[in-house]
Amino acid sequence: MPKLTIDGKTIEVAKGTTLLEAAQQLGVYIPRYCYHPRLSVSGNCRMCLVEVEKAPKLVTACSTEAAEGMTVRTDSEKVKAARKDVLEFLLINHPLDCPICDQAGECGLQDYYMEYSLKKSRFSREDKVRRGKRRPLGPNLVLDNERCILCTRCVRFCAEVTKTSELEVMERADHSFIDLKEGKALDNGYTLNIADICPVGAWTSRDFRFKQRVWFLKKTPTVCLGCATGCQIEAHHNDNTIYRIMPRPNAETNTWLCDQGRMTYKAVQAGDRLSKGVIRNGVIDLEPALREAATRIDAAHSAAAVAVLGSPWLSVEDNAALARLAKDAIKTESFCFDLAAEQGIKDGILINKDAAPNTAGVALVKAAHGGISLGELASRLASGKIKVLVTEARAAAFLKPVLASAKPLLIVFATNRAQIPPEAYATLAYASYFETPGTFVNYQGLRRTTEPAVNAREGVKPLWTLVSKLAAYSGASLKLDSPEDALKGIDFK
Amino acid sequence: MENILLRDNVADLEGYFACGGYKPLKKALTAGPAAVIEEVKKSGLRGRGGAGFPAGLKWSFIPRDAQGPRYLVCNADEGEPGTFKDRELMIKNPHALIEGMAIAAFAIGASHGYIYIRGEFFAETEILEKAIAAARAKGFIGKNILGSGFNFELFVHRGAGAYICGEETALLESLEGFKGQPRLKPPFPAVKGLFGGPTIINNVETLAAVPAIIEHGGDWYAAIGVGKSTGTKLFCVSGPVNKPGVYELPLGVPFKDFLEKNCGGMKEGKKLKAVIPGGSSTPVLTAAEAMAVKLDYESLAAAGSMLGSGAVIIIDESQCMVKLLQVLARFYHHESCGQCTPCREGCGWIEKILNRLEAGKGSVKDIDTLYSVADSMLGRTICPLADAMAMPAMSFVTKFRSEFEAHAAGKCCE
Repeated sequence: MPKLTIDGKTIEVAKGTTLLEAAQQLGVYIPRYCYHPRLSVSGNCRMCLVEVEKAPKLVTACSTEAAEGMTVRTDSEKVKAARKDVLEFLLINHPLDCPICDQAGECGLQDYYMEYSLKKSRFSREDKVRRGKRRPLGPNLVLDNERCILCTRCVRFCAEVTKTSELEVMERADHSFIDLKEGKALDNGYTLNIADICPVGAWTSRDFRFKQRVWFLKKTPTVCLGCATGCQIEAHHNDNTIYRIMPRPNAETNTWLCDQGRMTYKAVQAGDRLSKGVIRNGVIDLEPALREAATRIDAAHSAAAVAVLGSPWLSVEDNAALARLAKDAIKTESFCFDLAAEQGIKDGILINKDAAPNTAGVALVKAAHGGISLGELASRLASGKIKVLVTEARAAAFLKPVLASAKPLLIVFATNRAQIPPEAYATLAYASYFETPGTFVNYQGLRRTTEPAVNAREGVKPLWTLVSKLAAYSGASLKLDSPEDALKGIDFK
Repeated sequence: MENILLRDNVADLEGYFACGGYKPLKKALTAGPAAVIEEVKKSGLRGRGGAGFPAGLKWSFIPRDAQGPRYLVCNADEGEPGTFKDRELMIKNPHALIEGMAIAAFAIGASHGYIYIRGEFFAETEILEKAIAAARAKGFIGKNILGSGFNFELFVHRGAGAYICGEETALLESLEGFKGQPRLKPPFPAVKGLFGGPTIINNVETLAAVPAIIEHGGDWYAAIGVGKSTGTKLFCVSGPVNKPGVYELPLGVPFKDFLEKNCGGMKEGKKLKAVIPGGSSTPVLTAAEAMAVKLDYESLAAAGSMLGSGAVIIIDESQCMVKLLQVLARFYHHESCGQCTPCREGCGWIEKILNRLEAGKGSVKDIDTLYSVADSMLGRTICPLADAMAMPAMSFVTKFRSEFEAHAAGKCCE
């Protein structure tokens, strides 16, 4: 356990800790470009140079291990001069096109220039090295090599995280540039992380490009519902519109985020977003749609003729509300929250074998409320005893073969038209989890709650409130006044 | 004195044998690794590639408990402008290098050796390969060398023409099949080098001196030269002297004597203006400084320059220092690997300023910028290539500022 002094403060750190990490533990920030906590150390940017007593030269804090008795200065004149010089070098061939650069506002060059340099340029404009600009690479990114500072974070990300090694530095000296290796395509499923970790505007997201100035964005911490991994994310939005999803690095699940997960926000504001009800193919207001659904449930004549199926795409609250609908309002025994799926990371990075976000949460609802197995529900449907089935649009797929033959009257909850199965009779629109809070349990059993980033369109309500209304139209009260009411009896352990 | 390295009639195995060749190898194999390292330490032999690090000490840096294979690498990527001594040595005395490598490998416990040779050295590659085949046929290379149980395989690997691959860790990257870019140190190659194994990298001239040291003893070698600069050194001289070429001299010879006696003095009508004493990356000396200096590690360091690789570049009064520095800057700009910021951006910047000055479009401010850019690069990079640009740039500007000012004023010195 070496003990060292950084800027006059003493700290004891674990063996193998670098000066940069030790300083971080002390709350001393050392500027860096090429260093990234989850990538190998490259030491190429030279921004983290610090002074170590008795060392003949400045050393890179990112690569130098702390040693017993070291005295380190991160604020000496020598260090300040080195930072200024490195920034000057990085900027001489930079195009300085901040006014049209998406990175502006969260750019390492801008921030460090203001913090550590403010030096006037001595480089003549006509001498600038010209490199390739606006090169679309892969489905998600655009590369601007003129803005690149060659920190190689992107190269190392592809080599070390996705292990696909699509990128490399071509050429040498100041004509070096990032390039795609021959025969490769930049489509490893995690490419947008490259835009995140790029400290400058060299890599930008094709989806986000020119949409918003980053300083206008508000940030809401929430959870990704792209699969059972349940990554922690941040929704960036302005004026009730989401513009991008970024990872919220944490020790339990994720540093990164997959490209698919980042696009989940698109459905919220997609053209096929539902805000009302649909009866067969006709759109009607939600209230009449709810009344129609309630009428159909009542018209089934016996409670046993109505079935309810939970959904791993819905929150624990909404699943619990559906269970209550079956048990306490319709009073049918034919309800099913038995939706086990194989879970676990399938690609060694983040993407889960289970594409639904809340299989584990549905299991908790089953534990609290019981119900029949999926197989039993299917055979009851096949026998023709069940006339009406209430479920979430995507969950209907669990019963796909039997739905085609048994043809029950299908009532589904959906957020987007694309989700509606062809067999649906009535569809009821509900608020997505970017618009309403919901509890989800990921494959590790971690309970996470979404936080609304934007407001739902007028009239669009959380699913549990629709369930409560359905019950009311059928003459029963579920006493559901808040999401917490729905969670009663659920044991999260 | 008689030459140790540059000898005649030893290029083939018969000639080498006639002079007692491969006897030192037998002696070393009998004496054991520790005794060999001790002898080399005693000799005071220092790295001849430029840095001058004591060879015996370097060999002893391999961790004693290191597991797995160890490697010996010979740096024959001789590419510094002005340097052509290793090429001469490999042509004239290839077996001294091969024998030296076998002895060194035995001393450090390496069973595999590589000679990383400059890509343009086609003929030299062929010479080495033939010499290795001859040595192998006689049992000096291969399995169970001279019945000692020691195995040593030696390979020649041609570079692809990058100057940076003469930097030892970039050389290792290139040898492993990657782009030649220097590695961060530590870990040093003696701990983690080629293919992750402990590796010793020595210059051609360093390794070629080993057989003589084993034959005659470390004390004998240490008695040659002056102080800590022991033994003989190859000096390759270029420029307007009567007899440019490669010379082997004991370290510590005054430059004045070397110029007049060995090089035959300046060419008719030429007057000495400056000397780059150790290859293009070492600071330049004015004529007066050069005439007062001795050619050894300490004397040249005291004079503000370096012995470097022993490449003596003679500059006469008719040559323009701005033009000369521009040529150097073009070289270093071209050869910078581009990995770390100060070198990648600085070398190009310096060249651009010099292009402007050389074209008569520069200003006095440019001269100051040139100096300060070089100063900003110095000592802040992964490898010494930035220093190799910065040191000559700063010394040229400091010592020959008037020529730069003449250029800034639109008057070329020619």
